[in-house]
Amino acid sequence: MRNIKISSKGKTTAVKVPSENDWGLVVEKLLPLIRPGTILAVQGNLGAGKTTFIQALAKALGIKRFVPSPTFALMRSYKLPKTVNGIHRLVHVDAYRLKDELELQVLDLDEELSDGKSLLVVEWPEKIEKWIAARESRVIRLKIV
Amino acid sequence: MAKKVLDQRFKVLSIETSCDETSVALLDYAERGTQYAVRLRHHETATQIPIHRRFGGVVPEVAARTHVAELVSLLDRAKIISSGKRSTFDAIAVTKGPGLATALRVGVEAARTLAMLTGKPIVGVNHLEGHLASAWLVPENRRRWEFPILALLVSGGHSELVLMRDFCSYKVVGRTRDDAAGEAFDKTAKLLGLPYPGGPEMSKQAKTGNPKAFDLPRPMLKDKSLDMSFSGLKTAVRVLVDKLGLESKHAVRGTRYDLPDLCASIQAAITDVLVEKTIRAAKLHRPKCIIMVGGVSANSELQEKMARCVKAELPDVRMLKPPSGFYTDNAAMIAAAGLWRLRKGKTDAWKKLDAEPELDL
Repeated sequence: MRNIKISSKGKTTAVKVPSENDWGLVVEKLLPLIRPGTILAVQGNLGAGKTTFIQALAKALGIKRFVPSPTFALMRSYKLPKTVNGIHRLVHVDAYRLKDELELQVLDLDEELSDGKSLLVVEWPEKIEKWIAARESRVIRLKIV
Repeated sequence: MAKKVLDQRFKVLSIETSCDETSVALLDYAERGTQYAVRLRHHETATQIPIHRRFGGVVPEVAARTHVAELVSLLDRAKIISSGKRSTFDAIAVTKGPGLATALRVGVEAARTLAMLTGKPIVGVNHLEGHLASAWLVPENRRRWEFPILALLVSGGHSELVLMRDFCSYKVVGRTRDDAAGEAFDKTAKLLGLPYPGGPEMSKQAKTGNPKAFDLPRPMLKDKSLDMSFSGLKTAVRVLVDKLGLESKHAVRGTRYDLPDLCASIQAAITDVLVEKTIRAAKLHRPKCIIMVGGVSANSELQEKMARCVKAELPDVRMLKPPSGFYTDNAAMIAAAGLWRLRKGKTDAWKKLDAEPELDL
């Protein structure tokens, strides 16, 4: 059982996820809020279910490949087979190994997202809070408790 | 028949900059008839981690910049240009991916520049192929080497079962669907409050523990596929730590429950999955030899369990030695994989070679 809080543009919605097979409930609530250029900040402890949630999201976006953890690689990207809400690509970033937003510069994320057609999902956003906060208008925050 | 690009004797200069390590190696190769000899003449690795700490992340693009600074001094110390201004190598091998784009580019650009200036052949190497070749750097393994070979590649970023039919011929037959095995070690260690790096610390603690003390899940063990999953283990460990009523900071003191028991149980769960999937893959694909490579292959419990199970269940299969000294990222293994390619006449055009951050095997 997990409680999820989705915050976007000052509004917060709560969703309950009874079991690990129910992350689709969160994806359903989320999809209408997602636009090209959206930054989805996914916060939750180790073992909270971030990976399982992101796999459910990827599946809903039509991605057939596995979405393995990007902790080591820092970033992985996936082309969507069909455009969803104007989104062509999912970029998955994991800030777990980063100390702060300055270390994020190795990824050149702004360049990576310059096509304006990607959805960025960030795990451990608290590590790069300044970078996220500077783009607040595009940010959806998802907190797993 | 492959085009012959080099003599039977040649020296490969290799460069690896895919992640945190900058590394340079020079490998000698000599061939006569069906016999060949390999000698690592020079090998030096500089790790970036302490530099990252010193700068505290203040310098933008510090990873790439440090690779640049380190690489130049590593190449200088490798004496790749002799006093007569002649190069001391005959070919260049460089990691082209997978890895961090900005970091990879430093190595690739340096290698391209050297290829342009010296006119020597250049070959781009897959970092994962390098790990596979690390086992071949062990002389005893070269004598016993026979295809097909099944490789378990386990590190902080990878958990893959690779079937090698020949040099440069690979098929991934199984892989992790979420976390890598090394990541599973590091993250569960963190949940227990163990200091970084968690993997080696956990196996140290596990030495005196009972691996059956806690019942932890072995995901997908019953599943017929050769894929693995380690993400659920974090959740299970977290639930267990919560149930034991402990903050992770208390766990490390081991006052209220036995930390070695918990470490041994986690290690057993991870290694059971790795060994079981390897044995299953071997029964399906019938290799002549099995190798284990990558950072996690240094884990002694994994080495022992694998050797024991291969002996018991696959009596006709040779278990080759772990790549001692070449577990983590290094240029020697890139030279070896480059050599495999060069022997087959495979080279790249320096004008076209580029970093491929999301390269797969």
